Amino acid sequence: MGSLKPADEAMDAGFLATRVDALINWGRKNSLWPMPLGLSCCGIELMAMIGPKFDISRFGAEAARFSPRQADLLIVAGTLTWKMAHAARTIYDQMPEPKWVIAMGVCSSSGGMYDSYAVVQGVDSILPVDVYVPGCPPRPDAVIDAILKLQKRIERESPLKDILSGPDEVDERGSGQLTYQPNRAVERTAGDLHPHDPRASREDGA
Amino acid sequence: MSATTRQRLERALEGARFVESRDGMPTLEVEREQLIATLRKLRDEAGFTSLTFVTAIDRYPKEPRLTVHHQLLSIEHCDRVRLQTELPGEDERLPSCRELFPGASFMERECFDMFGIQFDGHGDLRRLLMPPGYLHHPLRKDFPHHGIEPDRLYREWDRDRRQASECAP
Repeated sequence: MGSLKPADEAMDAGFLATRVDALINWGRKNSLWPMPLGLSCCGIELMAMIGPKFDISRFGAEAARFSPRQADLLIVAGTLTWKMAHAARTIYDQMPEPKWVIAMGVCSSSGGMYDSYAVVQGVDSILPVDVYVPGCPPRPDAVIDAILKLQKRIERESPLKDILSGPDEVDERGSGQLTYQPNRAVERTAGDLHPHDPRASREDGA
Repeated sequence: MSATTRQRLERALEGARFVESRDGMPTLEVEREQLIATLRKLRDEAGFTSLTFVTAIDRYPKEPRLTVHHQLLSIEHCDRVRLQTELPGEDERLPSCRELFPGASFMERECFDMFGIQFDGHGDLRRLLMPPGYLHHPLRKDFPHHGIEPDRLYREWDRDRRQASECAP
């Protein structure tokens, strides 16, 4: 039961004394319903993760809903293009609070190898991401680890305060306020990886 | 190039201009004005009934800049022919061959989307791969690798959405 462990003196009395936060968090973290946004090959690994072999029902997250209205965990699995970006943001907006986002794979984390005009360089430029999972694609174990890390995070939240304080300020994270930055790291390493790349010789001054 | 293919082509097209091709496929150079007439002759008289693809090459900054390739297949004779048409950089127009080969419709749309070539008489020249409202043609050599404001359409959508939700009661 973890954080819900009752006080010793209440053990025999047949009731449970705990904090409301702990109770809510316990309920939330063990019933994460994922909304799989399978955009490319990561979607296949996601299916393996939900299937019987890796079986995320062990962690209470097996109820994959293909409607954002019934989900509270958005798993962005794969390459998000700018053409698809408004659809992804709409799906996120349609999910009821509280909601979390996992960026699965390098493409959704940073654009990955698609350092191009068509691909969003990390879904965190349009969505607030909670956990990033590296890998191309990540193994199902890695995504399960991300869910466990997210559960640990949810344990530390204070939902009662949020409920009593009323609706939050508008969350500006990932809502179009960040400016687009091309992935400069790729340009820096291009010379090491591809000596024939014209960008490499330009940096050497050749 | 087999002799029979060349003979068939020469019989169908008077004074056809053959050019070298690295893969050995019979390749003809065609003026823009003669393209439709040539395609019709190849289809009706030389048996090339199937248009396999329409694509283009951008040789920026060389002039003429764009070369459009039409590749035809003869199912009857089991051979192929390629037509290449050069277009100058400022005037990227070409008659559409949608009337002759209905399958050209999507390939010409893609060619327009990626290279900005206007196919006259196509009638439905919308973007195919890039979203509607996109301003550039990504396969042109002077198009930067990171794009030009790749997020512009998303920002505009986002702004409209916010304004709509502010106006809502």
